[in-house]
Amino acid sequence: MQGNNGNITFIRDGVRLDGRRVDELRPIKIEVGVLSRADGSCYMEMGDNKVVAAVYGPREVHPRHLQEVSRAIVRYRYNMASFSVEERRRPGPDRRSYELSKVSREALEPVILTSYFPRSVIDIFVEVLQADAGTRTAGINAASVALADAGIPMKGLITSCAAGKVDGQVVLDPMKEEDNFGQADLPIAITPWGDITLIQMDGDLSRDEFRQAVELARIGCGKIYEIQRKALLDRYCQMESAAQEA
Amino acid sequence: MDHMERRVVVPGDVLSEESKRAGEGTYVKDEKVYALLYGIANFREKINVIPLAGKYIPVAGDNVLGTIKDITFSNWIVDINSPYDGLLHISEYPRKIEADDMSKYLRIGSSVMARVKEVDSTMKVELTLNDRRLGQIKTGRVIEISHTRVPRLIGKGGSMISMLKKELCCNIFVGQNGRIWINGSEEDMDLALKTIQLIEKEAHTNGLTDRVVEYIKTEKGGRQGCHISG
Amino acid sequence: MSSVISEIRKDYLYNLMLRGQRADGRAFDQPREISIKTGVIRKAEGSALVTLGDTQVMVGVKMQPGEPFPDSLDRGVIVTNAELVPLASPMFEPGPPNEFGIELARVVDRGVRESGAVDLAGLCITPGEKVWIVFIDIHILDDCGNIMDASSLGAIAALLTTTVPAKKFGLGEDYPLPIKDIPIAMTAVEFGGVVMFDADVDEEAMADTKLTVISRADGTICGVQKSGTGVLSQEQIYRIVDIACENAKGIREKFLEV
Repeated sequence: MQGNNGNITFIRDGVRLDGRRVDELRPIKIEVGVLSRADGSCYMEMGDNKVVAAVYGPREVHPRHLQEVSRAIVRYRYNMASFSVEERRRPGPDRRSYELSKVSREALEPVILTSYFPRSVIDIFVEVLQADAGTRTAGINAASVALADAGIPMKGLITSCAAGKVDGQVVLDPMKEEDNFGQADLPIAITPWGDITLIQMDGDLSRDEFRQAVELARIGCGKIYEIQRKALLDRYCQMESAAQEA
Repeated sequence: MDHMERRVVVPGDVLSEESKRAGEGTYVKDEKVYALLYGIANFREKINVIPLAGKYIPVAGDNVLGTIKDITFSNWIVDINSPYDGLLHISEYPRKIEADDMSKYLRIGSSVMARVKEVDSTMKVELTLNDRRLGQIKTGRVIEISHTRVPRLIGKGGSMISMLKKELCCNIFVGQNGRIWINGSEEDMDLALKTIQLIEKEAHTNGLTDRVVEYIKTEKGGRQGCHISG
Repeated sequence: MSSVISEIRKDYLYNLMLRGQRADGRAFDQPREISIKTGVIRKAEGSALVTLGDTQVMVGVKMQPGEPFPDSLDRGVIVTNAELVPLASPMFEPGPPNEFGIELARVVDRGVRESGAVDLAGLCITPGEKVWIVFIDIHILDDCGNIMDASSLGAIAALLTTTVPAKKFGLGEDYPLPIKDIPIAMTAVEFGGVVMFDADVDEEAMADTKLTVISRADGTICGVQKSGTGVLSQEQIYRIVDIACENAKGIREKFLEV
């Protein structure tokens, strides 16, 4: 967060730089089952973010000492492609990727029935192909759909979305410029019944604004949830019609 | 054909307000029944969700097709297309053999039709070959489909599989783990392979058996009965 | 998980091969269907998503000014890197590139470099001080066999659509990256005396030898790599080279259409 940037007005007459209203999401596209080697997969675009998630498992744990006798362990690897950002990134994980991997895993784990699969691992891999603020939320959304696609038993789909603050106003789903020069960023992840599985925040919010931001992000998650759900239903219809044609 | 309701559901979808209707692939919270899996929910007295994908989890009594992947002092380690390997103890081989000779009977890469004898709470899976229908496979072909499609391949009361064996003139062994062994003439196996792939692809559609019968008829063309291999 | 292929599966593939067939019905020298989408990553200076059968590879090209190599002070620099991320195959593990990833990147790099595909002399900014660095980053997404050829196609496709970002660095107007040749890599595997091009996963697992041949537009060879623990006869190598150079022509025409 670099505080307010004096040169740019982010909101004019209730409309943001990219034409959105303060409570509007960027366009979202979700495709299910895009990879053939993985057990489950999902491609997602959220604005200019492009991510692909794969799930492998439950499968044998390597190295073996990590296995747990009474449940599956869950691993989550968030990784950015070198070409995903403006300035080329050195390949491989940095401290930020490790942190995002950890909190993303913890966002998903509460709904996964790990006790069904003792001594195994469920591996979730998220590759960010293009980044434009909100890659962790896009990654969690894609991973959640990929888990369902892999046939993993889960209590519900996890949905993730951020709220931010620019020009002193709380906005939904900040894009790059708003994230870079905005006053706050607050991503959450949530179950369909409203429990929060991830919350982070940095920047500057009053307690009122904080509540506003959480509420706005929650409403955004509700909309994304419908798109996730529809993508899975559509995937089945595609398989159905492909079968009918053949 | 019964007209039960069936529809696609995703994990977390509410399926019923009556907790007593909770079946497989569901869970109950606050008296309501929810889907636990992405799949097809069948609404009968009980509501079951049949997943569209997922790994095979062994259950005692299942027939499975495995490949030997390692040999230890007294066990063959068997890949059974599951997160859990099967253990085939030397004493479960149909006849008495010495530990030193294990690789003479089953070596790495050998295929076996086995039965799951026991699964404990830590998912240690013990297999047996002690049944005259079980044992090593040396001829024919093995194909792999999603284990979630196996019930459809077997059909109600085994109707689909008996039809296939008869019409395709092949010996067919269906492993619950989604591996299927077929044995017959090359020509018959080619058709069997294509037919099983068709069933896998269309497992979730209505009127499947009729379409499969029709398919086999068309593919066979003028060919009558079973192919006699020289 | 399917690290062991059963003998039955091997026998089946072997017998098919003896009958001159492959499991998916292709001829031995026939590659799977190829599709190339370019300009897929807006943040990269050039990009391509290649599908070769079910194999999917994404390549991004980024450029920035940097120092030249001491032995070529007035030429641009190419840096090629490949990430075999664990998303792409149950066989890939997280971590820094292993020898397979490094070999892949180096062979792709060799094709681009030795073919003279990129006009490096045209990428000099201030001789001896500042030149353009071209980063070719290969991201494997779905390994269903032969990621070598898919990566190589992705690299040249991404380069062909690369714009030199001069404006961003205050170095004048943007311009298309000068491309002088289109190297095409074709990889064959050998087992039981038979040679097959563009192997899928099962065929790769059966074979213990691969040969990659990279050719230029004029039909000359600019790179060769034998990989794996098996052996190849001279005759086999000559035949692979001939087929690789001939088949490359058709694929190269596909590029010129784009």
